[in-house]
Amino acid sequence: MEKIFEVKNLSYTYRKNQVQALKDISFDVKKGEVFGILGPSGAGKSTTQKILIKLLKDFKGEIEYLGQPLNSFGNQFYEDVGVGFELPVHFSKLTGKENMEFFARLYKKHADIDDLLEKVGLLEDKDRMVGDYSKGMKMRLNFVRAMLNDPKILFLDEATNGLDPKNAYIIKQLIREFKHAGGTVILSTHLMNDVEELCDRIAFISGGVIREISTPRELKIRYGKRIVDVEYRLNGQTESETFDLEKIGENQKFLDILKNNQIETIHSGETSLDDIFIKVTGENIHEDA
Amino acid sequence: MKTLNVLIKGEFQRLLKYNIIQVGFGVSVLWLLVMFLIGRDEAREFVPLFIFMDASLMTVILIGAGLFYERQENTLKSMMTSPVGMHKIIISKLISAVYIALQSAIFIGLISIFFFNASLNFILLIGFILVIAITHAMIGYTFSVLVKDFPTLLALTMVYMIVFAFPSIFYALGIVGGALETLLIVSPSHASMLMIDFAFGAEISTGLIIGSVMYLGVVAFVLGRFLVFPLYVEKAIKE
Ligand SMILES: Nc1ncnc2c1ncn2[C@@H]1O[C@H](COP(=O)(O)OP(=O)(O)OP(=O)(O)O)[C@@H](O)[C@H]1O
Ligand SMILES: [Mg+2]
Repeated sequence: MEKIFEVKNLSYTYRKNQVQALKDISFDVKKGEVFGILGPSGAGKSTTQKILIKLLKDFKGEIEYLGQPLNSFGNQFYEDVGVGFELPVHFSKLTGKENMEFFARLYKKHADIDDLLEKVGLLEDKDRMVGDYSKGMKMRLNFVRAMLNDPKILFLDEATNGLDPKNAYIIKQLIREFKHAGGTVILSTHLMNDVEELCDRIAFISGGVIREISTPRELKIRYGKRIVDVEYRLNGQTESETFDLEKIGENQKFLDILKNNQIETIHSGETSLDDIFIKVTGENIHEDA
Repeated sequence: MKTLNVLIKGEFQRLLKYNIIQVGFGVSVLWLLVMFLIGRDEAREFVPLFIFMDASLMTVILIGAGLFYERQENTLKSMMTSPVGMHKIIISKLISAVYIALQSAIFIGLISIFFFNASLNFILLIGFILVIAITHAMIGYTFSVLVKDFPTLLALTMVYMIVFAFPSIFYALGIVGGALETLLIVSPSHASMLMIDFAFGAEISTGLIIGSVMYLGVVAFVLGRFLVFPLYVEKAIKE
């Protein structure tokens, strides 16, 4: 499949405080896929995105965009790219609509602003000052901002951050639509749900290093385990035991417990990507989320 | 060209929405009131001073504050991921800065001609205001890219006023004497003051005026090229 980005041995150090945010990472992004960059806070997700969208230029290593060095592209690069930032990026004393109209005019191609506002549920609030929007509303406006130029590639940094489940669902739905229309998405997140629901491939990143690149399915097969937890009464006390779901019907201990004890609860489950994440990176993603 | 137009229109929309044009106009009206209060002859002498304050100090304050808020709102980052070049963004900002200064200079200038019979070379004044406003916009930008918070921005602006602007004003009012003049040569405020006085017909050698214009040009270029432009871009991206 055609490669949109090909990144080789990318390193980046913030000059100001000499923090090496990325250490020799390599990956590629293919046309039409949703590529997730997943990692704990401070892992280097935003840094990676800022480099790919040409905001940080003094990196080490090679980045090719559509087979050419990224640095050889001028400002026209942005005609095809939509960027959703992790923080609100609007003029607070302009209305939502005024903000979007201003940014839209900077491009050759335009999407229908009202249509986008309607999709994210902001049409009714389009004439209110953005300064009066809630955090979730600002984040939805960020998404509209990213889509203004009808982009081919969408960069989303924590796009569902601060959204309630309903609005997060709407944004995820729009990301899926974008993908089905042939778009490529690069999204960074620390939320496993997002990754599981949206991503074709994921790069696990922590401490500026890519620990693993994989698909959600592959990871679950590799690290995941299907299990049954049983709680039962034994000699007046509650005991619990975990069994492998494979061939459970031939597991004598499990069958004995079922036959001879009073069962309090039975749960089946599978290792979540959360657990896998901890295994892969050795870090807890929700530490400081 | 089309995007530059869009950027300039956007700047003006924001000058209005953020009440900067209104505040600028309000200050002009305030000067006007003062002029009518102090009487015709005195007022004529003070007009250059009012224009100076608007074109230099007000520019530093309004531009500094404007850019500071823009940094906080992260909007520059959003503009930088659009196809417009950074130079166009800066040009549009300078145009809005110059507009603010011109608005007040033209307003006060016209009033001083019609109500106070000031002898004023209007074309020259406008040309000078252009240079003064660009230089002071650069000074305002420099302050706003150097500081982290708003109180520090205000403090820095105050220091600038005390070190550069006030001595010039005192000198113009005759409060401090001629010995200071040699020191004042390095002050952008003083160069501005000389130029405005010259436009109002003061007897100042042409050489000194040309020197002043060139000096302001150099200050604007050096600040713009080596401080504002690089820091501006860096801060916009990394915050
Ligand atoms: N502007 C900056 N100046 C200096 N260091 C920075 C800057 N931005 C990020 N860093 C450092 O680079 C590293 C990676 O930061 P980055 O913002 O890429 O993390 P992230 O994965 O996006 O985290 P989060 O989930 O919190 O957004 C961190 O150690 C951070 O402290
Ligand atoms: Mg981040």
